[in-house]
Amino acid sequence: MANVTFPFPFPDHLITLLPEMIVAILAMALLLLDLFISKENKVWTAYLAIMTIVAAAIATIQLYPAGSIEAFYGFFVFDPFAAFCKLLVFAATAIAMILSLQYMKDENHIGEYYVLMLFAMLGMMLMISATNFIILYLGMELMALCVYVLVGYQRDVLRSNEAALKYFILGALSSGMLLYGITFLYGVTGSFDFSEIGAALTAADSSSHAAVLLGLVFVIAGLGFKVSMAPFHMWTPDAYEGAPTPITAFMSVAPKVAGFAVFMRVLIDALPALQEEYTMILIGMAVLTMAIGNLAAIAQRNIKRMLAYSTVGHVGFVMLGLIAANADGYAGILVYLSIYLIMTLGVFAIIILMRREGIQGELLDDFAGLSKVRPGYALAMAIFLFSLGGIPFLAGFWAKYAVFIAAIEAGHLYLVLYALLFSAVGAFYYIRVVKYIYFDEARVSFVFTESKLMQVTVVLTALATVALGIYPDPLMDVCKQALVGLI
Amino acid sequence: MPLPMDLYNVLDFPILSLSIFLPTLGAIFIWLFVRGDQAVRWAALAVSIATFLVTLPLALQFDTSTAHMQFEEFAPWITTFNINYQLGVDGISMPFIVLTSLLTVVCIVSAWTCIKVRVKEYMIAFLILETTLIGVFCALDAILFYFFWEAMLIPMYLIIGIWGGKNRVYATIKFFLYTLAGSVLMLIAVLAMYFEAGHTFSLLAFMDYPFDFIWQFWIFIAFFVAFAVKVPMWPVHTWLPDAHTEAPTAGSVILAGILLKMGAYGFLRFSLPMLPDASQYFVPFMVALSLVAIVYISLVAMMQTDMKRLIAYSSIAHMGFVTLGTFMFTQVALEGAVIGMISHGFVAAALFLCVGVMYDRLHTREIGDYGGVVNVMPVFAAVMLFFCMANVALPGASAFVGEIMVLIGTFEASPVYLGMSTKWVAIAAATSVILSACYTLWMYKRVIMGDLVKDSVKTMQDMTVREFGFFVPLIILTLWIGFYPLPVLDLLHASVSHLVDQATSSKLAEAALLHASPVLDAVHH
Repeated sequence: MANVTFPFPFPDHLITLLPEMIVAILAMALLLLDLFISKENKVWTAYLAIMTIVAAAIATIQLYPAGSIEAFYGFFVFDPFAAFCKLLVFAATAIAMILSLQYMKDENHIGEYYVLMLFAMLGMMLMISATNFIILYLGMELMALCVYVLVGYQRDVLRSNEAALKYFILGALSSGMLLYGITFLYGVTGSFDFSEIGAALTAADSSSHAAVLLGLVFVIAGLGFKVSMAPFHMWTPDAYEGAPTPITAFMSVAPKVAGFAVFMRVLIDALPALQEEYTMILIGMAVLTMAIGNLAAIAQRNIKRMLAYSTVGHVGFVMLGLIAANADGYAGILVYLSIYLIMTLGVFAIIILMRREGIQGELLDDFAGLSKVRPGYALAMAIFLFSLGGIPFLAGFWAKYAVFIAAIEAGHLYLVLYALLFSAVGAFYYIRVVKYIYFDEARVSFVFTESKLMQVTVVLTALATVALGIYPDPLMDVCKQALVGLI
Repeated sequence: MPLPMDLYNVLDFPILSLSIFLPTLGAIFIWLFVRGDQAVRWAALAVSIATFLVTLPLALQFDTSTAHMQFEEFAPWITTFNINYQLGVDGISMPFIVLTSLLTVVCIVSAWTCIKVRVKEYMIAFLILETTLIGVFCALDAILFYFFWEAMLIPMYLIIGIWGGKNRVYATIKFFLYTLAGSVLMLIAVLAMYFEAGHTFSLLAFMDYPFDFIWQFWIFIAFFVAFAVKVPMWPVHTWLPDAHTEAPTAGSVILAGILLKMGAYGFLRFSLPMLPDASQYFVPFMVALSLVAIVYISLVAMMQTDMKRLIAYSSIAHMGFVTLGTFMFTQVALEGAVIGMISHGFVAAALFLCVGVMYDRLHTREIGDYGGVVNVMPVFAAVMLFFCMANVALPGASAFVGEIMVLIGTFEASPVYLGMSTKWVAIAAATSVILSACYTLWMYKRVIMGDLVKDSVKTMQDMTVREFGFFVPLIILTLWIGFYPLPVLDLLHASVSHLVDQATSSKLAEAALLHASPVLDAVHH
C-alpha cells in the first residue's frame, strides 16, 4: 500500500473539529433537504436540526479532551473549557428550537429558521474555540448575521423589523469597533494570535502604551456589545421585545455564553499584561451594568423588556467573575451561565406557552391570576423568578454566590457589597411578577398551547433549578474542571 | 479541612435532619397524593404532629451538663467552597426547635376553618416554612444558616400575600425587601469571615478565630443590620406592624412566635461569641435602641386602633427586653432574654390567636368595632384575660420570669463601655411593666368589657372546642414556665454560661499575637 500523500499539509488533530464539521455539513444538507419537505411536514426540519445538535453534542462528549489540543497551527483550540461552553451552547440552541416548534407552526413554518439557528450556533462554536482574533471575528460575524435575520423574522411585523434594523446597525458598529481594536493590537504586536499578543505585550516597552490601551478599550467595547454590558446594552431591550419570543430566549442565553467564553480567553491569553487596566474598565462597566439593568427592569410593563434588562443586570453580576480574574471567578462565570441558562429558558418556555388571541403573553398584567388557571405553570414560574432573584434553595443563589465569593477573594469587597444591594433591588421586580401570578385575580383568559415537549422542558428546567439549588456541588466541580487548558 | 469524627450525638441517629426535612417530605407527599381540602388538613396536621414528636427527644435526651453542641451531624455539602452540612444544637437553640414544631401544630389547627381557599397550597407553604425555621436553629455552618434564613422568605411571602388582609401585597413586599436587604449584609460578612478565618464556614471555627477589632467592628455592623431587621429593633421595625396586621392569623402566630426570635438568636449565635469585643463596644448603642423599643414603642402601641397592630407593637417592645438582656453579658440577663423569647413565643402567639378568633366572627380587627364581648363569649374572655395578664408579665406567667431576670441581670451587670450605671437602664426598662399594662389592659377593657351595644357583637358565638383546644397547650406552658421555670433554666445553664465566657473574654490579645507574629501567621494559614 502506497502512502497517501496529500498535496497540502494536512492539519493535525482535525478530529477536534468534528462537532463543527457535523453542524456545518448537516446544516447545509438540511437547507437543501428543506426544499423537499412539504409544508405540513416542516416540523421535521426542526427535528432534524435538533438531531444535528444532538450529534454534535455526542461528538463533543466523546472527544471531551483532558487538556488543550490545538488544530490548524494554533488557530483553533479544543480544551475542556471549549467543550463545556459548546455543550452549554448546544443545550441553549436545542431548547430554543423546542420552544420554536409551536411558535413556528403558528407563524407559518419556514425551514431556514432552524438552519439559521444552526449556523448561528456554528459561529458561537468557532468563537469559543478561537485562539486567534481572525477566527474569533469570523465566528462572531457568522453568529451575528444569522441572529440579525432571526430577530427580523416576522417580516410583516413592524416591531420585529425595527428591532432587527436597530440590532443590525448597532451590531455592525460594534463589529467595527472590535476590528479597530484588533488592528491596534496587531499594530503593536504584529500578531493576531492570543498567546503571541499576550507574550508581546508582556515584553513590550511602555512607548506603545497608548496604542495598546486604545486597542484594549475597543476590544472590550466590541465584545461588551455582544454580551450586553452597559453602556453597550442599548440594543438589548428593543431586540428582545421585537424578536420572535423563542429567538429572544435563544439570544438571551447562547450568545452570552459564547461572548463570555471569548471574553475569558481574550483577557487571560491575550491581555494578561493589562490586567490592571482592564480590571479598572470592567469595574466601571460592571457598576453601570448592574445599576442600569436592575433599575430599568423595575419600570418595565412588558415581560420581554423586563427580562432584557434583567439579562443586563445578570451580565453585571457575571462580570464580577472577570474582574476577580482568579480560578474561582472563571469557574463562577461558568456556574452562573449554566444556571442562568436553565432559569431563563424555563421562563421563556412559560411565556411562549401562554397565548391570547394569537399573541404571546407579554405584558406583566397577562400573568395576573395564573396560579388559579394553571397552578403547575405558576409554580414553575415562581421557582424561576425566585431563582433569578437569588433566593436560596434555588439555583440562582449559588450562581451569585460563586461569582461574589471569587470577587471577595480578589479583594473587591465594596464591589460585591454594591452587587448584593442591586441583587436585592433585582429581587423586587422578580417578586413583583410572583405577585401578579399568585396575589392578583385573573383579568384575561388564556388559551395555553398544549405541547408535550414544551411541558417537559418546563418541568425539567424547574426540577433542575431546585436540584441545583439544593445540591450544586457537581456543577461547581464540573465548572472547575472545565478550566483546565484555560488557566 | 479534616472531618470532625467525634460527633456528639447520643441518639446515634440523624434526628435533626429528620426534624428539618420531615415537614418538607410531608408537604411533597400532600402535594402529590392528597386530594380534597379536608384530607389535606388532616394530612398536614398529622405531619406537623409527627414532626413535633420527632423533636421531643431533643428535649428529653438533652444533656444539660455540657455546653457542647449535641445531636451533631456532619456531611460535606459543597466541597469546592468547604461548605458543610453541619448541624447541632445547644441549650439556646434546642428550645426554639421544639417551640417551632409545637407552634406549627397550633397554626395548622387554627387555620382549620378560616383558610377556605387554596387550602393545599397553604398547608404546603406552612410545612416548608417549618423546615426552614428549624433549619435556622440547627445550622452550624454559616452558609447553611443563611440558606435556611433566606429560604424562609419564599413561603412567608406567599403566606402573607395570598391569604392576607386587604393591604397584603404592600405588606408582604415590604417584609420581603426589608429582610432581604438586611440579609445581604450578613452574607457579605460571612464571606469576608470565610477568607479571614482560613476558608471555613463553621460557626464553631468563627467563634474560636481571633478577629481583630476592626474586623469585629465591621462584621458586627453587618450582622446588626441583618438581625435588627428581623428582631425587629427600632428604627427598622416598620415592616412588622404591616406584616402582622395583614398576615393571616397563623402567619402572625409564626411571625411573632418564631421569626422574631431568629434575629435575637442571631445575636446570641453570631455577634456575642464571634465578636465579643465589638459586642462590648456597641453596648451603649444596643442599650439605647432597646430602651427606645421598650419605652417609645410601648407608647406607640397604646395609640393603636387595630388589635393586631397593637400586639405587633407590643411584640417589638418585648423584643426590646430581649435585646437589652442579650447585651448585658450576665448569666441571669441572658437566661432571662432566652426565657423572654420562649415566653413571648407562647403569649404573643396566643394573643394573635385570640384576635383571630374574634376576626373569624366579625371580620374586623378594629378595637372600636367590639365592646362587651364578655357577655356573649365568656370562656373566650377568660382565655384572653389570661394571655393579656401574661403579656403584662404578671407573676405566675412565663413573661414575668423573663422580664424579672433581665431586670435583675441588668442591675448587676457592669458593661465596660456603657459609661453609666446600669441601674438607670434597669429603671428605664422597668417602666415597661406599667406601659405594657396600660396598652394591654386598655385594649382588653375596650374590646371585652363594657355593655353590649353593638348588634354585630351580639351575634358572636363562644369558642368551639377546636378553638379552645389550641389554647390549652399554650396556657399550660405559660403557667408551667411561670411557676416552675427550673427545667428550662437547666437546659440553658451550661450553654449560657459558656456564652457568657465567650462574650466576656476578649479576642484582641490573641488577635494581636496572631497578626504581629509572622511565624504564627504562617502556621495559621
